[in-house]
Amino acid sequence: MAIVAQSSKYGQIGRTTLAWIVGLLFFFPIFWLVLTSFKTDADAVKPEFLLFFTPTLENYVNMTENYDYWRFARNSVITSVFATVFTLAVGIPCAYAMAFNPARRTKDVLMWMLSTKMLPAAGVLYPMTFLTKNILGIFDTHFLVIIVLSLINMPIVIWMLFTYFKEIPREIIEAGKMDGVNTWGEIREILIPLAWGGIASTALLCFIFCWNEAYWTVRLTTTDAATLSKLIEGNRAPEGLFFGRLSAVSAAAVGPIVVLGWFCQKQLVQGLTFGAVK
Amino acid sequence: MANRTLPRLLQTPAVILLLLWMIVPLSMTLYFSFIRYVLNNLRRPEWTKPSIDNWRGFGNYEFVLNNKDFILAIQNSLVIVGSILFLTVILGVLIAVLINKTFPGQGIVRVLLISPFFVMPAVNAVLWINMILDPVLGLQGIAVDGINTWISGLKDAPLVGWFFSLWPTLEPISFRATQTSAIAVIIMVTWQWTPFAVLIFMTSLQSEDQQQKEAAILDGANTWNQFRFLTLPHLGRPIAIVVMIQAIFHLSLYAEIEIVSRGNGNKNLPYLIGEFANNNIGAASATGIFAVILANIVAIFLLRMIGKTLME
Repeated sequence: MAIVAQSSKYGQIGRTTLAWIVGLLFFFPIFWLVLTSFKTDADAVKPEFLLFFTPTLENYVNMTENYDYWRFARNSVITSVFATVFTLAVGIPCAYAMAFNPARRTKDVLMWMLSTKMLPAAGVLYPMTFLTKNILGIFDTHFLVIIVLSLINMPIVIWMLFTYFKEIPREIIEAGKMDGVNTWGEIREILIPLAWGGIASTALLCFIFCWNEAYWTVRLTTTDAATLSKLIEGNRAPEGLFFGRLSAVSAAAVGPIVVLGWFCQKQLVQGLTFGAVK
Repeated sequence: MANRTLPRLLQTPAVILLLLWMIVPLSMTLYFSFIRYVLNNLRRPEWTKPSIDNWRGFGNYEFVLNNKDFILAIQNSLVIVGSILFLTVILGVLIAVLINKTFPGQGIVRVLLISPFFVMPAVNAVLWINMILDPVLGLQGIAVDGINTWISGLKDAPLVGWFFSLWPTLEPISFRATQTSAIAVIIMVTWQWTPFAVLIFMTSLQSEDQQQKEAAILDGANTWNQFRFLTLPHLGRPIAIVVMIQAIFHLSLYAEIEIVSRGNGNKNLPYLIGEFANNNIGAASATGIFAVILANIVAIFLLRMIGKTLME
């Protein structure tokens, strides 16, 4: 082993440098977005102010005062949190049953669930708008957004949970049965504590997807339940204009979720396996 | 085992919800695809209400098949999804192997690298197409301009001036044009989803058999052979999963296409549906049915690929 370690000393330095370059390259667009958000709209397009400029909070002040940022942010938090909770509440029992009592059709059911994600949303936009607005009367409500976000993410959530649950030895669950624990007890006292890591990273991923969803949330809301993706939609000025303002709004929309991701990255690294690790 | 009913019961809420989510829109789409249904038509106001009297048979399907954009849209859908899959898997494997071993600052590099995955698709598109790729105001325009100025300055330099006077003036590329907008979409989605591939491959690499690797080193296997014969086979399953999940997400790509080209550039199938749906709901629905068929064909391929390993 000593020989290997010695010969790779320069390799180590090279690899470290390369890894840092790759990391910084991937992060650069986000850095650039945040940097631009502190420039005025006029400065943002001038090459002489590329890196050195007088930073201003003007864009952020403008955003909170004129664009009602906090209302959009609150709606994003409410809908994403409740959609994640609801998806897990429906998904955990389903994945539990599939993992511990698999039937002949279980695999087909799972695949069918995933296939619902491939339906083209654009084709049913008009009927869905008509249905929710004129018939059900739930257009532009938190309830509608929560339900839609849940349904969009449910297939992935169930699949992820299924792959975690499958790794749990059946005997442990069976032992619980022997002790006379009922199904709810099994889920609450045995399954959830054992699969906690997997459930947490599933919840995290679901939350991220809910927060970032932009097709339905933009088109099924107007004001009351409009989320941050709607705010972005409204500020997408014609090309090349208002870079400063656009950057501030964008940075404020992705900021919370990126920071959350940073804090939970260890969880994600360990948890995101989709059954790929044996 | 009397316990066949309980597992079914536990699955019921999820199955019913997803069934409704699928059946309601799908049956509406199917119905609309066989009737004349437009949002605005002054001469034929009766077409603006969905009704069985406006039955058109396969007319909408014929209309869509004869539309010159349709085949292009299918091509674009497949090219965009295929390119993104290819790039993210290659980059993902390389980067995961690169940052898997400990090095100074590994934690920070990992955080930097993962960040793009958390960015909203709409923000991703706005950011790339305006602030980075714009041929005049974006970094691309500024960089090309800078290089041109620099080179024209060198033309008067002694000795090497003749060399630079032969140098052509660089032209910035507009990524909003028909031929290039797909490239912009591929770049931005690859940027966003490579971290996802890296995450999954990294987790998988951590479970790689280290003893086997040490044995290989003792046997004199070089780095390439270790990668080729140990690491790559170990990554087979995660690669299949990354391909499947991304295919599901990217077949319905919409925001990026819309923001990059606004309909002037490469359209994919979902975008074409959206375009029809501005007025002609019948044609949009027929295209939607074609999109469902395409998605199913892709799904069958994917199932062949990973279906077996999934249930092991």
